[in-house]
Amino acid sequence: MATSSETLVTTAGNAQADSDYMHYVEGVGHVPRDIYKHVLSDPLGDLPRYSIHIVIQHFLIFITFITLAATGLPLHFGDLFWAPIILAPLGGPDSARIIHRISAGIMIVAALYHFITIAIGTYSKLKKHKFNLLHSQIPTLKDLNDIKHDIRYFLGKEQYRPKMGKFMYKQKLHYLAIIWGTFVMIVAGSTLLFPEAMAKFWPNPEFAQDLARLMHADEAIMASAVVVFWHWSNVHLVPGRFPLQWTFLTGRITREHQIEEHFLEYIDKLKDDPKEKEYLISVLKEKGYKTEGGEV
Amino acid sequence: MSLKRAARLYIVGFIFIVLNFYPSKNLFSADVGNCLLCHKYPGLSRIDEQGKMKLLYVNEDIFNISVHLKVKCEGCHTDIKKIPHDPVNKVDCLVECHIVEPSSEQKFSHKDVDNYVKKSVHAALDKYGMPKKFKEDLPTCKNCHDEPLYRPLSFFKQVRPGISEAALGRCRVCHKKEDFIIRFYNHVTTRLHRTRNPINIAEVCARCHDDPLLVERHNLGTRAVFSYGETFHGKAARFLDERVPDCLDCHVNTGESVHQMLSHKDSAAITYRENKYLACSNIECHPGTSQQFASYKVHAEFNLDQSPVQYYFTLFFIILTGGTLLPLMAIIFLDLIRRLFPDAVIPRRR
Repeated sequence: MATSSETLVTTAGNAQADSDYMHYVEGVGHVPRDIYKHVLSDPLGDLPRYSIHIVIQHFLIFITFITLAATGLPLHFGDLFWAPIILAPLGGPDSARIIHRISAGIMIVAALYHFITIAIGTYSKLKKHKFNLLHSQIPTLKDLNDIKHDIRYFLGKEQYRPKMGKFMYKQKLHYLAIIWGTFVMIVAGSTLLFPEAMAKFWPNPEFAQDLARLMHADEAIMASAVVVFWHWSNVHLVPGRFPLQWTFLTGRITREHQIEEHFLEYIDKLKDDPKEKEYLISVLKEKGYKTEGGEV
Repeated sequence: MSLKRAARLYIVGFIFIVLNFYPSKNLFSADVGNCLLCHKYPGLSRIDEQGKMKLLYVNEDIFNISVHLKVKCEGCHTDIKKIPHDPVNKVDCLVECHIVEPSSEQKFSHKDVDNYVKKSVHAALDKYGMPKKFKEDLPTCKNCHDEPLYRPLSFFKQVRPGISEAALGRCRVCHKKEDFIIRFYNHVTTRLHRTRNPINIAEVCARCHDDPLLVERHNLGTRAVFSYGETFHGKAARFLDERVPDCLDCHVNTGESVHQMLSHKDSAAITYRENKYLACSNIECHPGTSQQFASYKVHAEFNLDQSPVQYYFTLFFIILTGGTLLPLMAIIFLDLIRRLFPDAVIPRRR
């Protein structure tokens, strides 16, 4: 039988003693894990997160993805009632086909642009010995532990969310899915768009064409479902982010969001941001926590 | 009666006679036996000996623009010798009708068409003259020709359906009878282009070729129109695109009658594996195409028996989609619950 004494809600008093709860930052003091509940946030974003290159790339991918789905799915499912309704304002199947191909071309350019940006950025960081695996999109064992930890938190079995880097497990999963999906769609789409050239390219053209047909449609359905039900839900629809998270346009993240889901990134950047340090100290003092500047 | 009054009556009577008996410009009917006297009534029907209702109504408007407009009713219903007539036999499309074929000046019949069909995969008898298995499944004329679509071609300035007055003007230079001009124009132009779009053709073939029982009985391997619909050609055809090939474009040897369609197992058929590229490389389709290109499936039905790899590949994607989405959705759901009820806990059992 359950009793109220068994709840896992931690009070401010006993949390001070929890080393996992408090995180020491030089010049600031011990920062509690749930300080995000008390900070001020501008919905347009307080802290830098993405460079202008990433914002442009995301914008291109976002626009082309929507366009590709809006033209490709009704062309594939042309016998379903909704297909002509979507295709009519696009000018019918012929123009939808042209729009689909132009969008695919822009998406390929955006993917190449992203690849070059990441390659140059990573090379530059490696050269300056500033590359931090924790803040990269590369999956690590920590991500598995973070998933486990987060699920336990959602179930009420952990007091606080895990301390995650610039990209948490959700984003890494999504990023990997995008890499896989873009590769599959480009290869399958090219096989369908250039059947004669690809007949000379593939060792078994008949089989390659069959797989391309299946992959292009199946991957499109999967990608659309993941973007709508997973990406948009996580990014824009959950309480606290609804109705829109502006990061994809401003490149900036709210303070509350960064501390909650990217705690380690926040702490890392705090070291080089005296203004933010000053702000955090003021919040800590206001809430009665010890800081490097002394207790209020 | 005065002379004036008699003259007035004479004029009125003359106008009445002219209006009633002068043939209208659009009346081309070959109904010389006046069969429409009875058959023009929409409710005309009877129950035959098998208990089936027979609708005997003939729509005069439709009949007057049909391809058989110039054929007398008795031309096809040859067993009718008196009016009112007894129950008639089924029409035999091979009967010689009164039309004279102009190049040979012989009486016309569809026997030549039947000869083509006899050489085709749809023939009821095999090459040894023996009835084929399930011969009742094989098509007769009306299985495919019960809905003749009429779409005359207009090709002055641009190709569009309809009658070109400009073309008719040229006909009128030499030909004087308006009904002949219209009829001959239709006769020629309907044979110069497609009168049905690809999806209409496919729908006719689907009546048999998408019947799963018939497909199984004849071991055809695929539901032909369904699997056509899974390809680029079929999908475009669904959008009424007329540039894509229909069944006849690929299954009829170039320059031959559509009635002489051969089995894909026949080495003389254009659909025979080694000949397929000839159909694809048609000047209007993919000129100069290779054998590899022609190997692409134009009937894509990936079932476990015929295409196990493709079948399991599809299954893999279904599992991947479900296996990815469901756990992710579960995480979102738990996250949402936690955000909505931050202090909620799962009670423990002692």
